[in-house]
Amino acid sequence: MADVAQSGSGTTDLAEAQTTFRRSHGSDLAARGEPFLWGMGGALAFGMTMIVGFVAMVLYFGLTTFWPKPIEVVTLMDGKVIAGEPLRQERYRPTADQLAAENETVRQAIAADLGFATRTLYHLGNYDFYGDDFRWVPDFQAKQTERPAGLVLVERQEWGAFIGHISAITVKGSKIEGDALTPEVLAAAHVEARARRERLHDIENGRIADVNHEMEALRLQARRAVLDYGTGTPGQIAAQAEVDRRTAELQAGYTTLAAEAQIIKAEEAANTVTFREIGGATKVYPLSAIVRYFESNDLGLGGSLAVYGARWWEYLTAEPREANTEGGVAPAIFGTVVMTLVMSLLVAPFGVITALYLREYAKQGRIVSIVRISVNNLAGVPSIVYGVFGLGFFAYILGGSIDALFFPERLPSPTFGTGGLLWSALTLALLTVPVVIVATEEALSAVPRSMREGSLACGASKWQTIRYIVLPRAAPGIMTGLILAMARGAGEVAPLMLVGVVKLAPQLPFDLNWPFAHLERSFMHLGFHIFDVGFQSRNSEAGRPMVFVTTLVLIVIVLLLNVSAIAIRNRLKRRFQGSQF
Amino acid sequence: MKKIAALVGIIAVAGFASVAQATDLDPRYQAYKPTSGVSGSLKSIGSDTLNNVMTLWAEDFRKVYPSVQIEIEGKGSSTAPPALIAGTSQFGPMSRPMKAAEADAFEAKFGYKPTAVRVAVDTLAVFVNKDNPLQCLSLTQLDAVFSKTLISGAPASIVTWGQLGLTGEFADKPISLFGRNSASGTYGYFKEVALSGGDYKDTVKEQPGSSAVVQGIAADKYAMGYSGIGYKTADVRPIAVAGRDGKCVEPTQATAYAGTYPITRFIYMYLNKNPSEALSPLQTEFLKFVLSRDGQADIAKDGYFPMPFIFAGEDLSLVGAN
Repeated sequence: MADVAQSGSGTTDLAEAQTTFRRSHGSDLAARGEPFLWGMGGALAFGMTMIVGFVAMVLYFGLTTFWPKPIEVVTLMDGKVIAGEPLRQERYRPTADQLAAENETVRQAIAADLGFATRTLYHLGNYDFYGDDFRWVPDFQAKQTERPAGLVLVERQEWGAFIGHISAITVKGSKIEGDALTPEVLAAAHVEARARRERLHDIENGRIADVNHEMEALRLQARRAVLDYGTGTPGQIAAQAEVDRRTAELQAGYTTLAAEAQIIKAEEAANTVTFREIGGATKVYPLSAIVRYFESNDLGLGGSLAVYGARWWEYLTAEPREANTEGGVAPAIFGTVVMTLVMSLLVAPFGVITALYLREYAKQGRIVSIVRISVNNLAGVPSIVYGVFGLGFFAYILGGSIDALFFPERLPSPTFGTGGLLWSALTLALLTVPVVIVATEEALSAVPRSMREGSLACGASKWQTIRYIVLPRAAPGIMTGLILAMARGAGEVAPLMLVGVVKLAPQLPFDLNWPFAHLERSFMHLGFHIFDVGFQSRNSEAGRPMVFVTTLVLIVIVLLLNVSAIAIRNRLKRRFQGSQF
Repeated sequence: MKKIAALVGIIAVAGFASVAQATDLDPRYQAYKPTSGVSGSLKSIGSDTLNNVMTLWAEDFRKVYPSVQIEIEGKGSSTAPPALIAGTSQFGPMSRPMKAAEADAFEAKFGYKPTAVRVAVDTLAVFVNKDNPLQCLSLTQLDAVFSKTLISGAPASIVTWGQLGLTGEFADKPISLFGRNSASGTYGYFKEVALSGGDYKDTVKEQPGSSAVVQGIAADKYAMGYSGIGYKTADVRPIAVAGRDGKCVEPTQATAYAGTYPITRFIYMYLNKNPSEALSPLQTEFLKFVLSRDGQADIAKDGYFPMPFIFAGEDLSLVGAN
């Protein structure tokens, strides 16, 4: 109620002021505030345009990347035929040398166009055939361009996409080609091959990996016994015997599994597919190397949607392959989310406790001011400096000592003594703690003095007052600080590159092997993935769209984290809405 | 002379339309044969040029030995020796040979030299934008373009395309230079071969990755830069380079193997091998895998050239893996 009354009186004041100014003739425009209003409006509009433009660009490129494109077959002037997906066109000015190689008609046409010509970039795929997968084709070199039915785009486990025809398959050693190779036969064989690969993956990455994990644990146990008892002592010999017995058991299990895998591999070898590119060259691959295939030019809307959905699903749930340029980013998504959550768990208590002490207990004076200034300045330290600190202090000093104390059997390979999820989370917690401290202090100071005094007057102690009156009412403000910290932490990459993010982490930081959470492990991160695919991958042309897709995913994840935090904050706020005086 | 240049131009434009050849792999390379009982973890710290290849190897190696953990960090070749010395990594991939100082630091700690295994052949290409008509440069010209010290004996620094003989719109345009950052082995190797050890000009835009160099050249019509031939895209074109004998040589697999293309190098995998002890089974198997048909196919997949077969055998016996 009070708010409404206030703003009402404000408007009246302004109206009065304006009438006054209108009366005085030579009044300066600036005094009425108009230029500032325009300036502020303009600044807001500029900022909004930038943000909207950026988001629109990421959305456009991110969302369109996976949509299947048509395949064009281009017959060139010299009689060669190429097939590929047209990606983009550009106008350019052919150089004198290029023009000299063309005939008179082409030269005249270009001259009539003020020296400009158009060219199209085609994605040819077939890197294993050509050693090149993108190509610019000037329009004047294309004799004929068509989109024939029946051309297949194959996404493969290796070597990137294939564009051409599937000319034959071999199922269990017998070759099927020509008319016998109907879409149904192909689909059935492909489904079977994929199921086989799935089984193989399950045996190799699931059951064999478990056996190997146990064997590694036993090896460490034996090593530990040597360190604990010394070589040749009865304790060590007993431990070694036990380890040997268990290892032999596991080895037997491994042999059975390996034989099983070998049988499946032999089956794989008997099921092949022959690819024939548009020029007629062929290559044979295992049938299971096909991730998916479709005839781009006959998809229709439903088919396109199915491919689009399948590609997104793969991207979000699968592991990366081909050095991160294909497949999915599931480990990176997982790494980003887990790292951000662990960071929030670490930063919240640190920040809140510090702010509580500074605001409620510490005697306000010179020292507290200095501490505050220092905290605020911490927010301005470049993030890479935190990375260096994290590597030097957390990984090398702290982690090195932990290794020497608790994991001597694993040395010289470091356990905690190298970058990992825990050190990354701690480093980012350090980076974001000023945000939380400042926000918490603001929230604490916003709790009305009358409420503290009321509580104290009722006989509550200082701590009881803080615990039951101040903290609950400051909680929404504290959450705001945490949200800002999370947003900053989730998007930070530079320090992480030093303290634990890797291009390819073989294992997730959580799995079914005891103790389930492996915070010492390196992990993958979407931000680093963007940097890596954008600047390090062999094929920058193929990498570029993936950069946008990954950026989109990262933005959506940060948004989701924030939205959930905001939802929690709003619940906290609602709890006290009814209890205002 | 002019006629010949025009002829070369025409042939090159015709070549522009021809389809590049896929890399050949020596058929004598055998497929990798798995053994049992290989597990444990490997960490590789080193060259970012080799980052992708290392990742491909790791992916394929883990298909054979799923429990093996391989972590890859690629921040530049200069990060490999310190990591090997500190014992934080088992492999140090490098896109240049170790410097004497680095090898000495290693020896001071362990008492023996680090072992180098040659794993691939890389050709550093000089790239220009796809619309640039330039065909060939000599090493001396490259020095005049990229360096400020002019050790190779070029009469003057070259700053515009006109000084390289281009006419028309290129004649008075300055050359926009792209290169790698100083932690990179590519930076060091190009400096050594093309610049005869001289210093780069301050105007060279240093990029964080080889792919970034190519993207820079793709976006800038008047740009020139160097990077591995594997990073070539449709937007850039590698030019021929003439060595000391003055013959222009295209960067291809054949010229790289023949040694006629002047900026060709081996890519190394450094490791800590005590001469009196055998290498751990995991490391041995990884090296065997790298120098098998599967490992070398990954090399081709990432745009490098496989090791000539004879050298592969030599290097495997060096680490006792043959």
